[in-house]
Amino acid sequence: MTVVRGVGQFYPVGSPLHALDPRAKVVATALLVVGLFFVDSAAGFAVAGAATALLVVVSRVPLRAFLGLLRPVAFIVALTFFFQVFFLREGPTLFRWGFVEVHEGGLEMGLLLAARLLILVTTAGLLTATTAPVALADGIEDLLSPLKRLRFPAHEVAMMMTIALRFIPTLGEEAQKISRAQAARGADFTSGGLLARARALVPILVPLTIGAFRRADELAEAMESRGYRGGQGRVRYRELRFRRRDALALVLTVLVVLAAVLL
Amino acid sequence: MKIELRDVRHVYSPGTPFAVEALGGVSLTVEPGEVLGVIGGTGSGKSTLVQHLNLLLLPTSGQVLVDGADALSMDRTALRRRVGLVFQSPEQGLFAPTVEEDVAFAPRRLGLDEDEVRERVRETLGLLDAGHLAGRSPFALSGGERRRVAIAGVLAMGPEVLVLDEPTASLDPTARGDLIGLVVRLNASGVTVVFVSHDLDEVAEVADRVCVLEGGAVRAIGTPADVFYAGTSPAPATVRVAAAVGERLPGLGRPVRYGETLAALRGVMGGTG
Repeated sequence: MTVVRGVGQFYPVGSPLHALDPRAKVVATALLVVGLFFVDSAAGFAVAGAATALLVVVSRVPLRAFLGLLRPVAFIVALTFFFQVFFLREGPTLFRWGFVEVHEGGLEMGLLLAARLLILVTTAGLLTATTAPVALADGIEDLLSPLKRLRFPAHEVAMMMTIALRFIPTLGEEAQKISRAQAARGADFTSGGLLARARALVPILVPLTIGAFRRADELAEAMESRGYRGGQGRVRYRELRFRRRDALALVLTVLVVLAAVLL
Repeated sequence: MKIELRDVRHVYSPGTPFAVEALGGVSLTVEPGEVLGVIGGTGSGKSTLVQHLNLLLLPTSGQVLVDGADALSMDRTALRRRVGLVFQSPEQGLFAPTVEEDVAFAPRRLGLDEDEVRERVRETLGLLDAGHLAGRSPFALSGGERRRVAIAGVLAMGPEVLVLDEPTASLDPTARGDLIGLVVRLNASGVTVVFVSHDLDEVAEVADRVCVLEGGAVRAIGTPADVFYAGTSPAPATVRVAAAVGERLPGLGRPVRYGETLAALRGVMGGTG
């Protein structure tokens, strides 16, 4: 059946990045993302950009997947860029036409912000493209587990994430199926004004919501009937193992982030 | 109307690691006025196939012809009115507060005036013995009633060809029998029916021709007797019994439907049964 391929879809192609421990990948992504906010030089962005590009190549995830990911943010990137270029008036003037002025400082800031956003999105995309949703949730549960002492429901949060992630394609499939069934009854989702289109969604949203509740019920029953009683004493089918290569990946990440921040 | 598929291939998610070929070159004609039974196991491509009949899915390659003309260049909405497709578990698409409103959805989309819409709803619900449900909420009905209402939602468009994908799945024997009766009645009134099922006994009861799908290809197509007595695909209980008895008692012929089989068996038993 058709799988709905949303933003940040997992791409099951074997690569060194896929093989890494999800915990290492989550931490590395967090380091890169946080580090990016402290990078403020062109050289620093060159390092960060080159490292991200290298990771994209290593991941063997088709470039198309990243382009799909970048499309929705392209507008924000463009907006940020032009805002900085036209309204930040620092440094020598590069260009003047009527009341439009472009200053060197503005152009520089615009480029840096655009680069930051693009690298940010690509990095996040790398994490979800190379890590199976379940592995990702397991990794996050492990990383959050120290917080259990503070009564933070780490297992429950991870279970909710796993279930939510697991059901995105299912709901997508169901939405597609229902919209086809309604299309067979003459429904039309693409023409008319905004109000007409919003109304056209009712025949999809009502059955979809009802279906989601039914599924939630069934899932709860299935889990209970298999003895699920929360995280206490639960063991995993797939144990996560932190190997030397995961440590190496983290060390490399720290080095790249430091280099990018300090340059 | 006559629908012709010519060497239709369909690949889901082409060009990705998830690509799956669901149909690999299917050629098939739905003749006007017939009941065409489509059988095949899970994953044989039945549901993908039927969605090509009204172009909800477009072929990856190959042609779909309607009355000899290329369907791809026709108006899709008009085509979907003429070819009514009832999906598997169609009751999942019910959404309106009352049965009447739900069935009225399709005729309203056709742009009919309100009187005519009401007339069609009444007529269609009557045809399905569901007239008494008109004012009720579709979510408060039994499984069989909801199935009938959902089918009415498609029939209300007045399609020339009705495609039913697994219409009897998860229905009780009575509801099943009613549905088979409906198919026979509709066909008698001139509607072409494509009946998809993996229940051979059901298909045997209604089909004028049978098409066996396997692994996304047509394995056999022809009259029920030709297909089921060839011994190459699974056969309904009636054919299995008649074939076994016929080995000892020639002259039984090749009955397929329950009534025919019973009559043939009584015949060879020389009236003793």
